This record gives sequence, structure tokens and C-alpha cells, in this order.
Amino acid sequence: MAADKAGSAVSVRGVSMAFTTGAPVLADVSFEVREGEFFCIVGPSGCGKTTLLRLLAGLLKPTGGDIDFYGAPIAGPGRDRAIVFQDYSKALLPWRTVAGNISLSLEACNVPEEERAGRINALLAKMNLQRAAKQYPSALSGGMQQRVQIARCLAQQPKLLLMDEPFGALDAMTRQTLQDEVARLAVEQKTTVVFITHDLEEAIYLGDRVIALGTNPGRIVEMVEVGIPRPRNQLLTREDSRFLAHRHHLFGLLQGH
Amino acid sequence: MKRLLEASWLRAVAFALGLLVLWQIASDLKVISPIFFPPPSKTLLELYRQIVEGTIWTPLVETSLRMFYGWVLASLSGVMLGAAIGSSPAARDFLNPLLEFVRPLPASAIIPPAILFLGLSNTMSVTVIAFGAIWPVLLASVYGFASVSRQLVDVAAALRLTRIQFMVKIAIPGAMPDILAGARVSLAIALILAVVTEMQASQPGLGQNILLAQRSYRSAELYAGVVVLGLMGFVINYALQLIEAWALRWRPVHS
Repeated sequence: MAADKAGSAVSVRGVSMAFTTGAPVLADVSFEVREGEFFCIVGPSGCGKTTLLRLLAGLLKPTGGDIDFYGAPIAGPGRDRAIVFQDYSKALLPWRTVAGNISLSLEACNVPEEERAGRINALLAKMNLQRAAKQYPSALSGGMQQRVQIARCLAQQPKLLLMDEPFGALDAMTRQTLQDEVARLAVEQKTTVVFITHDLEEAIYLGDRVIALGTNPGRIVEMVEVGIPRPRNQLLTREDSRFLAHRHHLFGLLQGH
Repeated sequence: MKRLLEASWLRAVAFALGLLVLWQIASDLKVISPIFFPPPSKTLLELYRQIVEGTIWTPLVETSLRMFYGWVLASLSGVMLGAAIGSSPAARDFLNPLLEFVRPLPASAIIPPAILFLGLSNTMSVTVIAFGAIWPVLLASVYGFASVSRQLVDVAAALRLTRIQFMVKIAIPGAMPDILAGARVSLAIALILAVVTEMQASQPGLGQNILLAQRSYRSAELYAGVVVLGLMGFVINYALQLIEAWALRWRPVHS
């Protein structure tokens, strides 16, 4: 996408992170996420990618370095940054219906009650959840539950959507459907997305750019510009020579670390 | 599943009726002394008389109200204390030893000091009932509030929910299954203590009636009181189960 000329949404400079116990989790991580960009972070488990996402969400503070969001340092969580957790079953309120779960965001954003129903219905339609509106999460499949979580995040109209391995627990078919939906939504809403995954192909398929993290401590080992036009296609994109080239290149790097 | 339940219901009722019949026969044959064990027929006849004459209602209402006020007081303070303790590990460390010391005290042991301070009053009964009945709901609440999932804490933080919003929208509904389970146990204890305070501190009610009937060898009346208490326990437990099923209707049904 034509994100190159856009401004910087997120700026991470020399960030390191260590918890009180043990070795550093992240060391000297620097990157910029452009406005409207789909930015993927891929790495093996233990590379600190979830920690990195929590730093961007403001749920953690880095022990070193700076993180800016639209020019201002991140001081804590903000409703302009939404986070989709991997474990959808624990991130939803089981005692609220699908509509009620989406409503939580609107309530937090102080949306007046009379406006909520309309916005909820729009989000239900957008995420193909209309028929599940009155159901409780426990009655839904994993893919549907993750749609609810995404809808709840979209409800807060974030400038930045943070996704922590959102499709890691889903079956392959559901995962592909949701990949395409999220890619389409990101374009439609012009939302900047930072997407974390341990699945290299998913990162290349979804990302405008991909950074690969290595372990011990977590650090950037490579950054690639994917450069495959959108909309992408589950079959054709994955057979594209550029896709395969990135895959070979990054695969070797990730294996080596 | 439903049919099976109904079948086991029927069997349970049949078993209970069978015991009643045995009791009746044993009593008629004078195997057991009818002075201490009047036959069910006499007990039920006495119960019927009380209903017809209307003498059953005053003590029933007295005992019910006493139990209910004590239970409400126990539940409200139990949930509030439980929320405070469960939400804060520091409070848990600080208060746990004290709670563990006070908890095993038999509630009936505090009746004498309660009478000293509060006299032979309803306040005294309600205080004693609340003290004895608070533990199940308090401990369940502490557990319920302490086990709010990490993930939901993050969700709340990401949405910048206020402390009150977090409590109302996430912590309380999340702890509700534990709270209700605790409150149900507390209610049973409240009934026991309502009867005990009536017996120990001569407060009017079913407990006092049973004690007076026993002292004057009116055993049919004694057992009629016991039957009423049993029915009360059964009905309130069933009512709370219905409330629980409604309040927790979001929970997945396990076959």
C-alpha cells in the first residue's frame, strides 16, 4: 500500500526490556511503523514478541529506550490502541452476550447508550456475527469468539490495532478466512496494525513489512519489505515468487537463531 | 437426561415415603415409644391443626425474618470484605491469620457475649446469625475476586476502565458463581443459627416452640416444628438454586 509517504504511527528506539528476575527479554530494538501499515513481527517462542506488543499497548514500561505513538511517548494504555489477545476464551466476558461484549468497549469509551445499539449492529455485520448477537461466548466456535474480540477492539475505533498471535489457536481453514478478513478490514478502516505471529507464512501473507526477531535476548535480526500488492490471495500469493523468496530468506534466519 | 433426573427424583421420594411408613408401623406396634417418637400421622395431624388454626404463621415468619436479615447482613458484608481482601494480595496476607483464627469459633459461642452487649433482642440474634453465616460467603468471595483472569485485567487496563467500572463490569460478575455458591451455604447456616438463638435466648419463633414442646412432652408439636424447619430449608435452598441458574445462565451446560 501507499504507506511510504505516510507519517510514523509508532516509533520504537533502542528499547530494551528486562524483568526483575532473569535475563533481558528484549535488547536494543528499534523500528518505525508507518501510519496505515500492516506491520508483522515474527519470531520463535521466547523471543519477547508478546512483551514487545504489551510495551506498545502500554501495559508494560520498557527498562530502556523510548516508544512514541504519533510523536508522544507512551505513558500507559490508551483507548486509541486496541489489543486482540491470543486466548479469546479468556479475553471475553463469558457472562455477556456477543453484543454485550462489544458493548464493553463502547461503555468504556463513554458512548451514550442510545448510540450503542446502532454501532454494535454495524460491527456485528462487519464481522459476520449478526446471527450470534444474543449468544454467549461459550456457545461459539473459537473462530467466532475471536471475531467477537476483534469486533470489540474495532468498537473503540483505535488508531492502532495490536494483535497477539490472534489466529494461533484456530484451525487452518478458519485462520485463512480470518486472515483475509483482517487484511480487508485494515485497508477499509485505514487502521495501522501490528501483528505478532510465530507463523512465518502468515507474517509474509499479511504484512506490508515483516521483522524477524531472534532469541536470547529478543532482538531484530531482519526486516523485509514484502512488496506484494493487495488484495492478496490465499492460493496465488503463497505461490508468488516474491512470497517464496521472503520465506526462504527469513526461514533460514529464524532457524539460525 | 431429564427423564433420568425425574426417575431419580421419584425414587428419592419413594424412599422417603417408605421410611415414613416404617416409622408409622414401628410406632403403631409400639416398637418405639410414641411419647418420644409420635407416629407421622400424629405429627402431620398436629401440623394440619396449626395450619387450620393459623398458629403456625407467627413463629414461621419470626424465624424466617430473623434468618433472612442475618443472611442479608452476612452476604453484604461478606461480599464487600471478600472483594477488598480478594482484590488485594497485601490485604490477604494481612488479614488471613486473623480470619483463620476467628473462623473456627462456633457461632453459638458468641451468643453469651452478644447477649451481654445487645441484650435479648432481635439485634442480638441477627448479629449472631450474621457472624456465623458470613464465613462461607466471605471465603467464596475472596476466592472469586482473587481469581479474576489475568487476561480480563489486561482487557480492563487496555480499555482504561475505572476502578468502579472494573468492579461492576468485570470483577463482580466474574466472582458471582462463587458468591452465589457461598451465599447458599450461608443461608443454611443462618437458618440453623436462627433456631439456636431462639432456643438459647428465648426469642419467639420455631426454635423456641420446639424447645417448649420438648420440655412439656408435646412430642407431636415438637416434630411438627422439625418438619416445618425441614421444609423451610428445602424451599429456600431450591429457591436459591433457581436464582443461581438464572443469574448464571451464561454458563455452558455440561452434559
